Amino acid sequence: MNLALFVSDLRFNQETLDRVTASNLGVFLVENGVYHAVLKEGGSPSAVLEKEGATVYVLNEDLETRGFSGDEVDDRAKVISMSDLVDLIMNDYEKLAWL
Amino acid sequence: MGLSILFLVQTPPYKSENPKLALTHALAGPLTELHIDEEVKTTVAFVGDGVLNCLKDQKSMDHWDITSTEQHLRNLLLSDVPVMVCKEDLEKFGISKDRLVDATEMGAEISIEVVPFSEIQAKIDEATALMCF
Repeated sequence: MNLALFVSDLRFNQETLDRVTASNLGVFLVENGVYHAVLKEGGSPSAVLEKEGATVYVLNEDLETRGFSGDEVDDRAKVISMSDLVDLIMNDYEKLAWL
Repeated sequence: MGLSILFLVQTPPYKSENPKLALTHALAGPLTELHIDEEVKTTVAFVGDGVLNCLKDQKSMDHWDITSTEQHLRNLLLSDVPVMVCKEDLEKFGISKDRLVDATEMGAEISIEVVPFSEIQAKIDEATALMCF
C-alpha cells in the first residue's frame, strides 16, 4: 500500500502515526506540521522524524512563511515545494489522509 | 481609572487566525480612546507555542499573498503597544532573541521584551481584563 499521511499541527495525537504501516509510507509536514522538522523542543527533535520506514517531507513554502529556511531542517526530512508535493501525491501515493 | 487589557497568545501562527486577531484587537485598543472617555492600555504576551509567532523573516506574502504575523507585530511595536514573550518557552524551543521580530529600523521606539513567565503573571494580575487567544 502506498500511503501519504499529512501532519498539519505541532500538537496532534501521534498514536495512529506510531502504529500504522505501509510498504510505501510518506509523511508530509505542512502548515504547522513543519515545526516537527525544525524545532528541538527541550533539546530533542520531534518523534515524527523517527517513524520507521517512512519518508518524511516538509513543505518549503510553509517553512518560510513561519520564518524558517530549508537549511534548518533535520536531515531526516526532505524539503519539497508545493509543485513537488502535487507530483508526489499524484504519482507515488494512492491513499491520502490527514492526521 | 483606565482599562488595561492583556492579550495572551498561546497558539502558533497561520493555521488559525487567532493570533492575528489578538494583535489586531490589541492595536485597536489605544484607538478606542478616541471614542470613549477612558484610557485603554493594551499589552500582548506570547507564551507556550504562541512564542512561534514572534520569529522574523516570515515570507507569507511571497508564498500565499497574505500579510504576515510579523507585519502585525511591527505595527504594534510602531504604535508603542508593549509586546512580551516568555523567556522559558523561547528557551524550550531553542530560539534565540536575535531571531525575534524587530521594528527599530522602521522607527519603533520599543522592542519585543523577553521576560520570565513571572513577569507575565504579574501583568495578568494587574490587568483589568485578560483575553486568551
